[in-house]
Amino acid sequence: MISQILGAVMLIYLLVAILFLMAELWSSLKLQAAGRIMLWLGLGTQTGALLGRWAASYRLALGHSPSALLGEKLRLIILQAPLANFYESLIFFAWCLPALGLLAFRRYLKGYLGALVAVLSTLLLAYASLGGVDSRIKPLMPALKSNWLLIHVVTAFLGYAAFALAFGSALLYLLQERRPRPSLPPLPLLDSLIYRTTVLGFLLLTLGIATGAVWAETAWGRYWSWDPKETWSLITWFIYAALLHARHLKGWHGRRIAWLAVLGFMAVLFTYFGVSFLLTGLHSYLT
Amino acid sequence: MHSHPKSWLWGTLTSIRLTVFLLLILAAVAVIGTVVPQNQPPSHYSRYFGEVWGVLLWQGGFANVYFSPWFLAPISLLALNILSCVIHGLPQAVKRVWRPLSWGTAIALPQRGQVTWPAGVDPRPLVTAALSRELGRHRLETLPDKEIYLAERGRFRPLGPYLIHVALLLILAGGLIGKFWGVDGQLALDQGQAAGAFQVGPRTEIPLKFQVRLDKFQVSYYEPGGTPKEFRSDLTFLKDGREVSQATCRVNEPVSFGGLTFYQSSYGTDSMGPILLNVQGRDLNQALEVPFRRPVELPGGRGRIIAMKVDGNFQGYGPAVLLAFSPGSGHPEAFWVLQDHPELGEQPGPYRFRVESIPFKYYSVFQVKHDPGVAWVYAGFLLFLPGLYLAFFRPAERWALVLAKTPQGQWQARLLGASPRHREEFAARQKRLLTGLQRGTPR
Repeated sequence: MISQILGAVMLIYLLVAILFLMAELWSSLKLQAAGRIMLWLGLGTQTGALLGRWAASYRLALGHSPSALLGEKLRLIILQAPLANFYESLIFFAWCLPALGLLAFRRYLKGYLGALVAVLSTLLLAYASLGGVDSRIKPLMPALKSNWLLIHVVTAFLGYAAFALAFGSALLYLLQERRPRPSLPPLPLLDSLIYRTTVLGFLLLTLGIATGAVWAETAWGRYWSWDPKETWSLITWFIYAALLHARHLKGWHGRRIAWLAVLGFMAVLFTYFGVSFLLTGLHSYLT
Repeated sequence: MHSHPKSWLWGTLTSIRLTVFLLLILAAVAVIGTVVPQNQPPSHYSRYFGEVWGVLLWQGGFANVYFSPWFLAPISLLALNILSCVIHGLPQAVKRVWRPLSWGTAIALPQRGQVTWPAGVDPRPLVTAALSRELGRHRLETLPDKEIYLAERGRFRPLGPYLIHVALLLILAGGLIGKFWGVDGQLALDQGQAAGAFQVGPRTEIPLKFQVRLDKFQVSYYEPGGTPKEFRSDLTFLKDGREVSQATCRVNEPVSFGGLTFYQSSYGTDSMGPILLNVQGRDLNQALEVPFRRPVELPGGRGRIIAMKVDGNFQGYGPAVLLAFSPGSGHPEAFWVLQDHPELGEQPGPYRFRVESIPFKYYSVFQVKHDPGVAWVYAGFLLFLPGLYLAFFRPAERWALVLAKTPQGQWQARLLGASPRHREEFAARQKRLLTGLQRGTPR
């Protein structure tokens, strides 16, 4: 049921992308407004679906270890957040993009920028529903039974999403620089959007790495094991740290920062997908 | 200025170019570490990368790259770079933070706008209201010929980058402290067994100042054939043979005692004696006693079996044994036989094996460690966050509003201000402030 709803959300996001593109091509304010409304509708529906899956996971867990104590129930609610496998991470990532986009871009989340975000979410949801990813709700294995699961996964994926937004702004920057269009946001604005989303992503990635380290210390007795996922998150962190230093202290702006944001997002994609499929390690339960 | 070798060295060490260069080098070396498998025997590398490259990778330290000069040299240099930058800039930042904005400094700020009110209008309530709304707390300095309102936002921002970099140094220091003063080992305990030492490395043992006993190990599943639910070790700690404390160790729930922490790491099942089987076939129905890992001939030369492995709770289905059956000269085939579920599992050959009893005992393996560096690393994490907040989310702004009377007797305000970064936010606030101030003037 929830999987079907998420399939519908995928179609809504696809429609959003089409509306934003058409709005841009015909410079239509009405279509822009329609795109925004549909985006909110998709995000609302997806929020509902995620909460529904959360409730279903919780009910399943309560069935396995019944408890009447409020404290135990609260702990189960925290543990059973739908963030425990690859499918759930995909649908959460697809949720983070428009949610964070609305927060970070506000009224600029429309037109080409809005279409890019909607396309990314559509792709993620399409992969989750059609890519043969196991969507069943399963009880948690012992390694994942930790209060750190929620905060670690939420910060990590919000961080990925912020970097995706920086990537989108960087793409538009490079496009706008090569072939200026009056309908695209002006270069200084795009430059500032790249910077702001990168700072947000850097904060969240740092939180994700730190909470992961604390969790690893309680689960395995090692806060850092040079596991491929850890290493690649550190590589990503290095790249964005280099970007922030270059911009703040070397005065880099514009094209060079945009290319660094593109490079950084490649590292993000590899941290998420590449490590899960090409390398094995402690995070392999994600697949 | 950089002609002197000492100042050249200092200039390089505090340079941001070095930082960016080192960050990208570290990223590249780390990539190598995830592409080349780590900590494998030399033969592994020759097999995967060919004779020449395999030897080069092994000899060059790429088999353990994070502990080789390829990684340690740039990370040490980065630590030095960070330390130099902190020493170089922190005193100035502290001085700046502790010295509040004085009117002398403030009137030198660039002018951002000017408002003149009609004669007879006292703009002071309006000014106070606008400043309070936009900037919060502000000070008033009264001079003989003018009044100066002063406001600062993000006064502590200059400390942000230094907090971040001190935090990074703490984390790196924590790593070093753990490397030199930490212990990290393994302890394998049979159910019922007590130990007074644990293993570090293949041949080294470290004695404990106490004894630890595994009272019971349990593994449970959500449902047979499903996901494991819990690995649980019940431990008792003893001093001089006296029970001092009891604790349950699970994954994600380590147990600390006597300065050491025990983490549930793995477990297994040991055989405790011959396994009793029943074998049935066309012409056969017989009890069989099978010692662990020793071949047993089936009666009449029908083949032979070996009990290769026992499991106390095979995928949640209860005790089970892994048998290898070779009919006469044929190739052996291995299969699990479950004590409580004889109906499950494929069995090759013409015979059906059933388990009567499996004497077994669990053992549990713990990671045992003491790492005084962890506190430093966590302190680094905690310091990092306020540092990031100050550096990126508290834009520094300085504002001054100079109120004076013109020769014609009208009140006139000059708005001064500056923000080294965050030009957009600054411009937006400037616009709002000026709009607020102009409210009492005819347009």
